[in-house]
Amino acid sequence: MKNQNINTNQDYKYGFTTDIESIKAPKGLSEKSIKFISKMKKEPEWMLKWRLKAFERLKNLKEPDWQKPKYPKIDYQDLYYYSAPKSASEKPKSLDEVDPKLLETYKKLGIPLQEQKRLSGVAVDAVFDSVSVATTYKEELTKKGIIFCSISEAIQKHPELVKKYLGSVIPITDHYFATLNSAVFTDGSFVYIPPNVKCPMELSTYFRINASDTGQFERTLIIADKGSYVSYLEGCTAPMRDENQLHAANVELVALDDAEIKYSTVQNWYPGDKDGKGGIYNFVTKRGACRGKNSKISWTQVETGSAITWKYPSCILQGDNSVGEFYSIAITNNHQKADTGTKMIHLGKNTRSKIISKGISAGQADNTYRGLVDISRKASNSRNYTQCDSLLMGNKCGAHTVPYIKNKNFSSTVEHEATTSKINEEQLYYCNQRGLNQEEAVSLIVNGFCKEVLQQLPMEFAVEAQKLVGISLEGSVG
Amino acid sequence: MNENFKISPSEINNIKVLNQKDKNFRLENLKLFNQQGFPTRNHEDWKFSDINQIFSKNFKNLVSFKNKIKLKSVNFIKQFDHNHILMVNGKLENSEFKFEDKNKIKIKSYNDSNFSLNNEENSLINLNNALSNNGLFLEVADNYSFEKAIIIYNVFTDDLKDNLLNNKNKIILGKNSELHIVEYNINQSKNKFIYNTTENVILNENASLKTINLQANQNEGFFYKFSKGKMKSNSNYSSFIFSSGPKFNKIDAEFDLEGEKCDCNIKSALFINKDKHQEIKTKINHLVPNCKSYQKIKSVVDAEGKGVYQGKIYVKDIAQKTNAYQLSKALLLSENSEFNSKPELEIYADDVKCSHGSTSGSVDENSIHYLMTRGLSKKQAVQLLVNGFLNEIIGDIKSNSVRKFIENKIEVQIHGY
Repeated sequence: MKNQNINTNQDYKYGFTTDIESIKAPKGLSEKSIKFISKMKKEPEWMLKWRLKAFERLKNLKEPDWQKPKYPKIDYQDLYYYSAPKSASEKPKSLDEVDPKLLETYKKLGIPLQEQKRLSGVAVDAVFDSVSVATTYKEELTKKGIIFCSISEAIQKHPELVKKYLGSVIPITDHYFATLNSAVFTDGSFVYIPPNVKCPMELSTYFRINASDTGQFERTLIIADKGSYVSYLEGCTAPMRDENQLHAANVELVALDDAEIKYSTVQNWYPGDKDGKGGIYNFVTKRGACRGKNSKISWTQVETGSAITWKYPSCILQGDNSVGEFYSIAITNNHQKADTGTKMIHLGKNTRSKIISKGISAGQADNTYRGLVDISRKASNSRNYTQCDSLLMGNKCGAHTVPYIKNKNFSSTVEHEATTSKINEEQLYYCNQRGLNQEEAVSLIVNGFCKEVLQQLPMEFAVEAQKLVGISLEGSVG
Repeated sequence: MNENFKISPSEINNIKVLNQKDKNFRLENLKLFNQQGFPTRNHEDWKFSDINQIFSKNFKNLVSFKNKIKLKSVNFIKQFDHNHILMVNGKLENSEFKFEDKNKIKIKSYNDSNFSLNNEENSLINLNNALSNNGLFLEVADNYSFEKAIIIYNVFTDDLKDNLLNNKNKIILGKNSELHIVEYNINQSKNKFIYNTTENVILNENASLKTINLQANQNEGFFYKFSKGKMKSNSNYSSFIFSSGPKFNKIDAEFDLEGEKCDCNIKSALFINKDKHQEIKTKINHLVPNCKSYQKIKSVVDAEGKGVYQGKIYVKDIAQKTNAYQLSKALLLSENSEFNSKPELEIYADDVKCSHGSTSGSVDENSIHYLMTRGLSKKQAVQLLVNGFLNEIIGDIKSNSVRKFIENKIEVQIHGY
């Protein structure tokens, strides 16, 4: 990939691999590096076999190219597929060494100092890259029988659950990036909620990318057993310092009878600079299966970062009366590109889905909503409602809507509506008149535009996300 | 026929070519077609109608049409006065303009002399470029408004069987001219055949063209029509599509709005019955500011029918003050009917009003209940509601006599239900 961090490579050359804290897999995608990852994680034999099977299949797969944002070809042999945390010597010593612009943003978001250090990668406490941060509140969760741990730990300690569900929603025979992830995933979260348990708190893990040139391949698996409930948060509102990197995570959700999973994401990775140099490629596969009757999966996402966002959190509504929801805000500024949306696949009877998507495009950005609503022959009395609105700021950006709507059942109803417009001049004028400057006014109006989605976020997240919406659009007006 | 359906270059020897350039153009296109074959589901534009599969299921031995034409008598429309053009199997047979100033109208059999490839992705167009040998060329002079509508009788004779027909039409309207065309397809063949046509429409400044597309009867034909339009400033295009009836029908319209203040309208009311397959695909390219486009597609799908709408609005960065609208509504009447849609927006200008909507579902139970409490049977109630649903489009036709004629046609279709 472009913009290699030369320093890191040099460090590697001078033998930093001997340092226990920065072990890297052999460079490139090969059976050798997959075996290395599996060995480092002390995985059982079946897991390695699973990975190799995925790798075998990957060899015959082609990278998809139908997406709207194009990107330079990724050299998969030039990436490291495993790296433990960086050694302290490579990180900034204190906040003084951190990009002042980044600090300014932290300040605006109101992030505590200690948190700022952690986010900007200052070497103070344990900052991990591919290895999960030790998860908190463990005790309280254990009491309820909830399993919340890293996926590597789950492979060791709960192989029966992992074997049963891993790859059951995103099989290893899926598309290119998902299969790549199956072969080389390093870590991620594992959640299991036992029957009839309501998870007492919001579970969250910060997803982090800190080592340069390390494609991040996280794997998350959440299982909500009968009658249970869980809300899971991914990401954080603060921007993270980074180089141009590939991020191809897989997230699998399984909801059994009467279970509910709420999955919220706030993604604010490095979007590249004003000229579109650098930035993260966020090619994530997220899919949830409503396996049981009356189950529900709800995706909420606020996507403001990354150079290219390319993801479609989907719901497979298998169980009768199951519900799928998708709430999304995608903000693109400067040279950012987003191609995002959802798939709602109705298989069971009386299944319901709702899609609310808000796309905001400024600068020279391109924002695409691409979605599928598929009502199969047997999904009687199903319903879908889709609304996707786009807001354009300036005449150099683009907003696109590409919905695919299939209805094969005559008792089911599908509704889709979409609008594209710019910020209403009168609203801006009104705000200006009341003493708000242009930027404040835009932020206020855009927040209003996004309200339906922001409301879905958990409380703490929502407050930060609102500020984030404003910050992401800075410099796009006037 | 299978996936390796190929056409031998010797076919081109049977066509009267203009010159060597023409021949080379045809050979080149044939090569492109033979490389690709008929489009499959893998082509984005054919996602919902895998034409390769449909053709291979229905045609075992597809041949170009070479037989002599045996034309049965044609029932001309008597309900209203009109000029007429008679096309038989895609070939211009005769025309009559008894209400018009004949000096203002140029009509002849069309031979394309523009040998440039512009849509290489679509192998059906390649096929058409390679093999088309007939067509209609119609040009209207500047400042001329037609007194009466033209009806183009497209007759397909009953000696068509497993044939492949390719034809090309071109319609040019001069400045400030006005024309109203009714395209009326009459199918005398009981057999399967493929009619692949491309149409070129050019509307000069301030010109106005209205077209109505209508089928006389249910039939076994497979129709594909690619229509490419160019609109100059202040021109006005409106198209009504009522083409229910053929076994397969795909209308693929692409319009470039090149001059300011153009107005492009596409409206359709379809009743898709039995195992019929209808697709409307549109692409409206807003290339300059201050244009308007409006699309309203209404479909009723019954039995094993399948309806598809793929619409795209493209707005270029300079095309500010664009007003574009897309609406697709479908009613599904039977458990085996299917409706797919893909209303797409691609927008690069900010000061625009663009929106689309798409719905599909069954007939409102409450409305049926209401009508049944008033003494209608369930079947009658559904028919009444379907009629009302489709009539919204028909109501937009201004001429009373034409509207009545079409109302009757649609009613016959619905009552076959």
